[in-house]
Amino acid sequence: MAARRIVVTSGKGGVGKTTTTANVGAALAQRGHRVVLVDADIGLRNLDLVLGVEKRIVFDLVEVVEGRCQLRQALIKDKRIENLAILPAAQTRDKTAVSELQFADVVTQLGELCDYVLIDCPAGIEHGFRNAIAGATEAVVVTTPEVSAIRDADRVIGKLRERGLSLRVIVNRIRPEMVRSGDMLSVDDVTDILSAELLGIVPDDAEIIDTTNRGEPVVLNVESRLAAIYTKIARRLEGEVVPFTALNPPGFFERIFGKAG
Amino acid sequence: MLHDVIPQEAAAPDAPAKPRGRAIVVTSGKGGVGKTTTTANVGAALAAAGASVVLVDADVGLRNLDIVMGLEARVRHHVLDVLENKATLDEALVTDKRVPQLKLLAAAQTREKDDVDTAAFRALIDSLRSRFDYVLIDCPAGIEMGFANAIVGADEAIVVCTPEVSAVRDADRVVGLLGDTRKVHLIVNRLRPELVRKGKMLSVEDVNAILRLPLLGIIADAPDVIVSTNKGEPVALDAASPVGSAYRAIAERISGARTDAPAIPRERSFFDKLFGSR
Repeated sequence: MAARRIVVTSGKGGVGKTTTTANVGAALAQRGHRVVLVDADIGLRNLDLVLGVEKRIVFDLVEVVEGRCQLRQALIKDKRIENLAILPAAQTRDKTAVSELQFADVVTQLGELCDYVLIDCPAGIEHGFRNAIAGATEAVVVTTPEVSAIRDADRVIGKLRERGLSLRVIVNRIRPEMVRSGDMLSVDDVTDILSAELLGIVPDDAEIIDTTNRGEPVVLNVESRLAAIYTKIARRLEGEVVPFTALNPPGFFERIFGKAG
Repeated sequence: MLHDVIPQEAAAPDAPAKPRGRAIVVTSGKGGVGKTTTTANVGAALAAAGASVVLVDADVGLRNLDIVMGLEARVRHHVLDVLENKATLDEALVTDKRVPQLKLLAAAQTREKDDVDTAAFRALIDSLRSRFDYVLIDCPAGIEMGFANAIVGADEAIVVCTPEVSAVRDADRVVGLLGDTRKVHLIVNRLRPELVRKGKMLSVEDVNAILRLPLLGIIADAPDVIVSTNKGEPVALDAASPVGSAYRAIAERISGARTDAPAIPRERSFFDKLFGSR
C-alpha cells in the first residue's frame, strides 16, 4: 500500500506547523505506523530541535538531492519512539538548492520506506512552499484563531485546492476563556471562514513551549492533555471518526494557581 | 520607471533640505514571533510622539499589516501598483485613522514576491526616506526573495525574537544575513516572566547570550495584544496598557529620547489573574 504523503502548512509563520508535524508524527508512530518527518524549511530548519535530534545530524535533504549520500543515511531514527525518523533540512543553504521535482522525488522514495510521510512546510508561499507541497497527496492546514493567520490560511487553501490536494484544518492555540469573552474567534468561526473540514482543536498551553525548548514532543508525556489531543488527531488521520472534545475555560482555582489554561 | 515615485518637494529648488529619514526593517527569520505587531506598534508610537512615519508591508501575497492597523477597508493601491506605475505613491499611501502623520503602504495580496523588482523596491524606500522621518519595513517570514527585498533598502534592522530555541536559531541566521553594514537591534517578544522564573522559558539573558545584540525592548506575552490585533487598534496608543507603554519606550530608544536599559515586564500578580486584568 502506498504511503500517505501529508504536507503540514499554514501560510503564516509561527502558528505551530513544526510542533504539529512533530507531535502528530510521533502519535502516529506510537500507534504502530512507520513515519518519516521531512523538514522542508531549508535554511531555517527547526524540526530537528523540536525532536531533540539536532546533534545527530550528519547528512541532510540537500545532500540527498545532490547525490552526496544515500537517502537512508540521512534519516535520523528517534531514540524514544520506534518507527519514527526525520529527514533534516540543510541549514546553510537556501530553498532554491532543491527543485520541486527533486523534492517530490525524495518524498516518493520515502513513501516506499514507510506508511506516513509528514512534510513540515516553511512559512510563506514562495519556493519553499512550492517544494513542500510538490510531493504531497494531501495537506493539513494549521491556523490560529487570529484574523491574520486565517487570512493567510485562506490564501494557502486556495493554492492547495488549485493543486487538487485534499485538506483538513487544525485550529491551534485556542484560548477557551477568550472565545467565551468574545475576544477570540471560535473554532466554528474559523472553519466557516475557511469552509474546510476540521481535523483537530489544540488549546494554547504553556507546556508546549517547555517541551519544544527541551526537544521532547509532548505526546511522550502520557499524562498530558495535549498528548491525548494529538493522539486523537492521529486517529482521525487514520480514518476513525473521533468526536471533538469540548474545551472548557480554566476554572477559578486553575486561574488562581496557574494551572495550564 | 521611478520618476513618479520621487516626491515633488524633493525636486523643488527652494525647498529646505530635509534630513533623510531612517529606513528600519523589522525581521526575525521565524514567522509568528510578532514582526507585524511590532511594526504597527513601534510605528504608531513614533508617530504619536510627533514623527512622520510610513509603514511598508513587504509581505507580498500574505499581507497582514493593514489588518493589524485596522486599515484593510481603506487600502486602494499597493506597493506593486506604485512600482509598476499603476498608482502614484500619494494614491497608495493610506493615512492612519488615529494618527495622521502615520501612513501605510500595503502589500499586494494576489501577487507573488518574485513579482517585486529588487532595485525598484530599493529606490522606493529611498524616495520614502526623503519624505518621512521613519520608514518601517515589515519583513515576511523566512529568508527567501521576500526577505531579500525587504532588507535591501534598510540601513537599520530590528530583529524580533521570542524566548524559544527555534526562534533564537532563526534570528541568529538572519543576523548573519543582515551583514555588518546595518545597525541591528533586538526586541525580545512574548516573554512570560513567571515561566522564566520556573525555568520553563528562556530568559532575555539566555536569548542574548546567543544573539549578542543591543536590546531595544522586552514585550510581555499579554492577552491584550491579541485583542488589539484582532480589533486593528495598536496597543501602543492605549495609554493605560503596560504593553503599550513598553512599545512607547522602544520608540523613545529608537529616536534617542531615552537611553535607559529596557525593563523586564512585571509578573502578573495574584489579583491580575483573579480579576483577569492585564
